[in-house]
Amino acid sequence: MLRLWPLRQAVSAAGLRLMPVACNKSTAAQPAPELVEVFVNDKQVFVEPGTTVLQACAAAGVEIPRFCYHDRLSIAGNCRMCLVEVERSPKPVASCAMPVMKGMKVKTDSPMTKKAREGVMEFLLMNHPLDCPICDQGGECDLQDQSMNFGSDRSRFTDNAFAGKRAVEDKNVGPLIKTIMTRCIHCTRCIRFASEVAGVEDLGTTGRGNEMQVGTYVEKMFKSELSGNIIDLCPVGALTSKPYAFTTRPWETRKIESIDVMDALGSNIVVSMRTNEVMRILPRMNEEVNEEWISDKTRFAYDGLKRQRLTTPFVKNQDGQLVQCDWETAFMAIVQRLGSVEGNQIGAVAGGLVDAEALTALKDLLNRLGCENLCTEESFPMDGAGTDLRSNYLLNSTIAGVEEADVLLLVGTNPRFEAPVFNARIRKSWIHNDLRVALLGAPVDLTYEYDHLGDSTAELQELASGSHPFSKVLQSAKRPMVVVGSSALQRSDGAALLSTVSTLANGLHTKSGADKEWRVLNVLQRVASQAAALDLGYKAGVSAILETKPQVLYLLGADEGAVDREDLPEDAFIIYQGHHGDLGAQMADVILPGAAYTEKDGTYVNTEGRAQLTRQAVTPPGMARNDWKIIRALSELLGTTLPFDKLQGLRQRMGEISPTLVRVGRAEQANFFQQAVKAEKSGGVVLSKDPLIPPQQTLKDFYMTDSISRASPTMAKCVQAATEAETAKY
Amino acid sequence: MAGRAIQQGVKQVKPILSTNHAEAKRRVLNLYKAWYRHVPYVVKDFDVPITVKQGREKLRELFMKNKHVTDIRTIDLLVIKGQMDLVETAGIWKQRPHIMMYFQDTVNPRPPGFLEKFYEGHDP
Repeated sequence: MLRLWPLRQAVSAAGLRLMPVACNKSTAAQPAPELVEVFVNDKQVFVEPGTTVLQACAAAGVEIPRFCYHDRLSIAGNCRMCLVEVERSPKPVASCAMPVMKGMKVKTDSPMTKKAREGVMEFLLMNHPLDCPICDQGGECDLQDQSMNFGSDRSRFTDNAFAGKRAVEDKNVGPLIKTIMTRCIHCTRCIRFASEVAGVEDLGTTGRGNEMQVGTYVEKMFKSELSGNIIDLCPVGALTSKPYAFTTRPWETRKIESIDVMDALGSNIVVSMRTNEVMRILPRMNEEVNEEWISDKTRFAYDGLKRQRLTTPFVKNQDGQLVQCDWETAFMAIVQRLGSVEGNQIGAVAGGLVDAEALTALKDLLNRLGCENLCTEESFPMDGAGTDLRSNYLLNSTIAGVEEADVLLLVGTNPRFEAPVFNARIRKSWIHNDLRVALLGAPVDLTYEYDHLGDSTAELQELASGSHPFSKVLQSAKRPMVVVGSSALQRSDGAALLSTVSTLANGLHTKSGADKEWRVLNVLQRVASQAAALDLGYKAGVSAILETKPQVLYLLGADEGAVDREDLPEDAFIIYQGHHGDLGAQMADVILPGAAYTEKDGTYVNTEGRAQLTRQAVTPPGMARNDWKIIRALSELLGTTLPFDKLQGLRQRMGEISPTLVRVGRAEQANFFQQAVKAEKSGGVVLSKDPLIPPQQTLKDFYMTDSISRASPTMAKCVQAATEAETAKY
Repeated sequence: MAGRAIQQGVKQVKPILSTNHAEAKRRVLNLYKAWYRHVPYVVKDFDVPITVKQGREKLRELFMKNKHVTDIRTIDLLVIKGQMDLVETAGIWKQRPHIMMYFQDTVNPRPPGFLEKFYEGHDP
């Protein structure tokens, strides 16, 4: 296995610095490296020196079969499936591990190559069970496909002694991954993923030759928030999804490209649907957001979409009981009450899973009724420039921007559980680009080494004034990056914290001499709707509601319990619109059933300010309706009909409010950092002495954070398994 | 230009089958009789849950649906289509649902307003 990075870390620790690698993009002009001429099946291609034969073949348009090789993992070269003939080489070479040489002549369909492939295939199949009909990988199995394409049409394997094929005991690695280790072909992709990307050295091999086994050495859970990705990486059916086991075949499902809402990253996903049910969720490649990984919550929380759902409207009767009703009755109850109160007696709270369309419709409706009291459940400091300047609440450097940074300071956040894929990106930069990471806040396991600067705000002030020992490192950075967690900004001294951090960030930007396009200040949001809600002009946090005590409260998917019934007047009327019967629905007088993210075409703006679209995969259950349509219908009954009855009209309106909401797929850059700092100086909040502790600290805190994952039985099993694993012997 | 338009207006069109109304009517009646005689076999062959009487009522209803048609060419076309339908039915090239399609309930027109659509279903 080619694993150079521990050496790289050791070298950098000793004060030496290796040459920066290719992904460290410098703007300085570099001499173009001399390209190497290679012939693939007599076709001439020019590639950079150091590329492998396999990549050179790909450049020439020839795909080499492979099992162990993967773009994003280190090269193992142990499956031997990528053998090709190279002229003047006595043996076929493993193309994934062989660098190109000048004038190399590769032959990918010569008799020698074909024979090598057939031989490898025969050996692999000799030790592989013939259980494709009951295997979950059937239909999307690399071994199946490649044995059809490159294998021999007959086998010499005969079990003369009736000893049976090689068999391996299955391992129990937790509630998410099902292992059938007999099917394993020892490509070691899962092991490399665990140690390189996930940063959890749980998987490994024992034994050698025919006795080799992949596993966790002792029986224990594979404790990673990215564990599901090894299911996708496994080229055979050795690692499959436990919740998905024996449910569908890939050719039976329809695949809908969508966006995840379990965290604020907006990971790109593919939703597999059959018979109006979400069968599974897989990652979709997007280099700028999630590469090809997704977190376990994204992948496995989909069964929460089938449980605890609101399928009909409810209205509270005289006895205080919620009873099912039809849409007209529910709307009439709302109209009666909303018609008799002043606009300033209405309030609205938007939760974390709401799409921008519903947010726009609700804001337009309530503004027409004379109400300005629209808040997000997730709070954010509103002092100074607050949410007026977009740069204040976005991850301005972008997710991919971490790969260009050289020093990263994390303040009061645990990106491993707040944004697992972003954490994998940080880890990638730590490995390949010598990114130096420092953490201010409770010490947590981030899967990579970092300088722990303490957990109190005093250290932050020292950093801002430059008196902290680590300031030297920060100030010598060429491309520094500061990421502050949104949970830290929700403390009572959040405003002071944000102003200190942005002062620090601005100082660093000046010191570093980085160009104007480089952003230092970053806020890592935790919920999917926050950036869009703030773009639309929602007030961050429910403090305005708590002050005004409105007569009527409209909860749009607000399930975290930020506002309680005790906070409102005695006869307050609460309307809940959302998809799960969670905290918000429990305290409501009227419940309007909405659609979850797999059931509507919605816009979500991720933490870096990138608008992305979810696509409808299934229809909302029962009488549930698309959220913006509910609000549009209600507006008609209230006599203030909103001027759109099609999605296009609504999107046009969104574009009028903020063009960033309709520029799908682009992360719009935000500016005005200095102006934000100036505005914040007028605020007078003092930093408190409390330590900065992110709410999610260990793996068991990660799985259940919103109404969908709280309703998911799989996530409940994960919490149980992670809790048990904490006290386990190993 | 104007002269040409008038010329086109009075141009004699080529008949499809019938040259006059009496002939067209005879064809319609022949088709009706053929269908009328075939209805019992339809009920038997396709094992549909309708009586012969109901079938004949439906037959009459379908013919009467086009009673306003006066153009000979249109009548001829409808007769040809009816004949093709009969052949398909008599040869049992159809299946039971195809027969039952004649008896399907009238489809309600989509409501015009947003609110009505909202109450009705998922996709207004």
